Parts: sequence; C-alpha cells; structure tokens
Amino acid sequence: MTKNADPKDLYFVDFPGRIRDIQDAMHKENLDVYLGSRLRTLSWTLDAFCPWRSYVVIPAEGMPTAFTFVIDAARVADDSWLDEDHVRGFAPMGGQDQIEQIAEFIKELLKGWRGRIGIETGMSNYLPEGNLTHYEYEQFKSSLDGCDLVNAHTIVDRLALIKDEGTINRFREASRIVDVGHEAVYDAIMHGGYKGRTETEIAGIAAHAMRKAGSEWEWSFTGGNEIACGYRTGLAGGACTPASRKALEPGEPLMVDLHAMFRLGLGDHAHNYLIHPVTDRQWWHAENFVTIVKRTLQTYRAGITPSRIAEEMMQFAEDQGFSDYMVPGFEHGIGMMGDEWRIGLNDGPFPYWTNPDHVYQQNEVLICALQYACPDEHIGFRYENPIVIRKQGCEALSRFPLGIEEIK
Amino acid sequence: MAQKVRYMSQEWRDEVEKRLLIELTPEKMKNLTSSMSNIYLKCPDGKDRYLFFSFENGRLKELALGEGDPPQAEFRITGEYETFARISRAELGSQRALMSGKLKLRGNMVKALKLASIADRVNKIISTIDAEY
Repeated sequence: MTKNADPKDLYFVDFPGRIRDIQDAMHKENLDVYLGSRLRTLSWTLDAFCPWRSYVVIPAEGMPTAFTFVIDAARVADDSWLDEDHVRGFAPMGGQDQIEQIAEFIKELLKGWRGRIGIETGMSNYLPEGNLTHYEYEQFKSSLDGCDLVNAHTIVDRLALIKDEGTINRFREASRIVDVGHEAVYDAIMHGGYKGRTETEIAGIAAHAMRKAGSEWEWSFTGGNEIACGYRTGLAGGACTPASRKALEPGEPLMVDLHAMFRLGLGDHAHNYLIHPVTDRQWWHAENFVTIVKRTLQTYRAGITPSRIAEEMMQFAEDQGFSDYMVPGFEHGIGMMGDEWRIGLNDGPFPYWTNPDHVYQQNEVLICALQYACPDEHIGFRYENPIVIRKQGCEALSRFPLGIEEIK
Repeated sequence: MAQKVRYMSQEWRDEVEKRLLIELTPEKMKNLTSSMSNIYLKCPDGKDRYLFFSFENGRLKELALGEGDPPQAEFRITGEYETFARISRAELGSQRALMSGKLKLRGNMVKALKLASIADRVNKIISTIDAEY
C-alpha cells in the first residue's frame, strides 16, 4: 500500500538507515542477531502495523526479516518497505510455528556459530508492549542451544528517542486529522446538538470524521476515542475513559480525547466542554485548568526534566489553590505505534518507568498530558497534545484552540 | 495400468510423472514456477528417500526420486514414509498432516499458503495410482 521510497516525500523515513544504525550498535555490543518482539520496535523498523504477535530478526549485516501470523503476513509485506521474501508467516504447522521457524532462521544466519542474540524483555505499564514472554525465552533458549540471549532493547530505545523530520511530519498530519475530529464533535454538539447523544456516539462522530480525513484507526489501547461526561470526567486519576453509553446531560462537563493514526504517527488530543447551565464553581475549575495547560506548554523546552516541570506546575497550582485537583504528572511518552508509555530510556529509579530526571532534548516528541479531577464535584478535565521539544520551547502539533467552551 | 507398482519405486515415479504431465495443465497449476523436495524418513528398508518436484510455468519440469541429499528446493517437506503413504492413499490430508506436526515444512509459509490448493491437486492425482505399499 504505502511504500516509503521517495526521500522527497514529506513523510519519508530512512528505514534501511535505521537498520544500519541498529547493526552498528549490535556490532558495538558484540551481538550477532537482534530479535525484536516489541510493537514499538516492529513499527520503528518495518513501517507496518503488526497487531498479531510478530518478530523482526536483524542480522549483523543486510536486510531484516519480519515474522508474523501467516494470515497477516502478505498485508504486512504490502505495507512495509520490506519485500515479501523478508516478511514470513508462521502458523501452527510442522516446522512453521514461530519458535522453530525463527530459531532455524537464526541458526542459518549464525552458520553453526554459537552467537550472542539480542532480545527484548523487561516490563511495561503498557499492555501491548510485546516483550518476549518467559515461555518464548525458554523455547528460544532451548532451540538455540549454546547461544547467549541478551536483553538489548536499549539499542532501539536509544535510536528511537530523537525523532526525524519524516516521523514528526507523520505526527503532525495525525494531529491535523485529530483536529478535524474535534471540529466534527464541536459542530455536532453545539446549539443543542448534544441532547440525546451518548459518549459512544460522540466517539463515533469523531471517528467518522477522522477516517474521512485519512486516519487509519483510533489507535489508543485505552479505548480508541476516550469520551467522558458528568461524574466520569472527575474520576480520581481519571486518565482512561473508554466511551460509555452515558448520555450527555445539561450542567455536566464533557471530555473529548481523540486518537488518529497516520502512517504509524499518532495523534492524541483532548479538549473539554461544559454543558449549559454552567455554575461559577465549574467556571473556576475550568479557568484553573486552562491556565495551567498554557503555563505547562510555555515551560517545556530542551534541558528541562519531568520532575522540574511537575515541581513548577504543582507549586503554581498550590499558589492558585487548586493543587488538590491536579494529577502530578504532565506527560507520557510517545513514538511510532506501540511506543506509548515511558519517556526516554530505562534509566530511572523505578525500572521501566519514566526517569523523573530525564533531560529533554531537541526533537523528542512526547504527549503533554494533564489531568484535573475533582471527584466530589463530579468535574474533571484532560489535556493531551503531542509536542516536539525545541531548543527554546515546544511545538504543539494539534492546533485545535485551547479553551473550554460552554455548550448551549 | 494393469499391474500394481510398488510405492516409491522407479516405476511408481514414472507413473506419477506420466499422470501429472497429462492431467495437470499449466492453467490448473496457475503457471507456477517452484520446486519442492519431499523427504521420506524411515522407508520400509530403513533408508531415507526424497521425491523432488520442479515446475516451470505450470509444467512439470523434473521429478526425481533418490536417496541422500535432495536437490535444493523452494520448499522442503519432511516426514515419515508412513505419513506420506497415507497422504498418497488419500487417507490423510496434507494440511492435516502439517497441522498435526506429522509433516514439517521449510520455506516461505505465505507462498506455501498460496500453493496449498495446487499441492492438493498433485496429491489427488498421485492417489489415483494403484500402488503397493
């Protein structure tokens, strides 16, 4: 379908160059083969979405080969920059199950040597991460007798940290599409249009508009387009609200968090509303939230750290008298499809969580994410937007105007 | 053919070749160009044998029966003599033999999937030969 061949293409990514970078790093770490299994690694190396259990085998030099469930292999080859000889299918058949097929493939690469094989293991807060399971590890270890299996995911994590221009443009386009979704929701709910509509319907209105604009799917594992109204907006910590059948009601807040995907670049933008009639107290919460979002966006820049952002923003919220309602986190990681949790590398005090002292660099992309929740008053707001870290600030990729509108 | 031929004998191989050339048109073979080595383990005399098929533009180009290392082929299917014999007697489907692990396939599974119906056609023709096992 979408072959990534023209360097003049706005969305061009040098995938062969990425493979060469991995191979250079493998050489430095004395690895003969890299066996990638995480969704983020598959997206980053193949330029194809791999929803089934999949692997990429990267030799010390030359082309990588992907392995996926046989029913999807032809489609992955069609989407990927790899040809069909480098996208293999596995199936529950003699000699064709994933362990035997990949182990045999690796043995052929090693030509009888007992090599060092980089694998991807660890843990993640993100369920579809795709680390090698204990069973897979044991099976590969047994099938590749004499080989050392070494955890090597940091190679890909380090290389994927700073985004190239093509990747940023993919995120930019996905964000433009998300803005189209927000416009569709706005048009549908204003002037009484919200009456009788449910959260699931709002999610669908946005999805329809975004698909028309070119989105491949509402990619988030948290439930596609996350919509909440009324008390659900104010659930403590409430950063996960798959749309429910709850109807939009007068006097309630509405949270619209939309997700679009464009060539594995991810759009993720949340916007909030108050449904008429709105109380002064609700406006007070809304103004607090908009103020701190603006301040946060003004604070992001190269050289700053997650902990410093959190300290500065929480102090500001404390000074203004609304810190009780702030969730003390202001971002989450993002990369090509499947890379949606940790910021930076696995080098923090809690393994596989964001290092609070990670120093942001230019051209890192993250989701600026703020959650404001007041369960007692059944009100809350969420802001999410992919931002590109620049030397003196950040570029917010979704351009839907920041604010909280009253729906009449 | 009046007399039974012994399965995996030179006479049987000649009969397979004759029938495949007559009954398998290039259209039926989807103008396929490919090759396949079937490795028969534990034949009745204790030896291992191969049956090598090569097709070019849908025409059978080579059918070789032998012992030792088989010719290089795009696909390599390994199993016990008895498993292949059951397939040739139409008692067992080749897909089922693969899915139950009785046969092992080496080669690109995606391409193999496309060729599954062709392999069935070949096996169906072979099963019409009155052979002695």
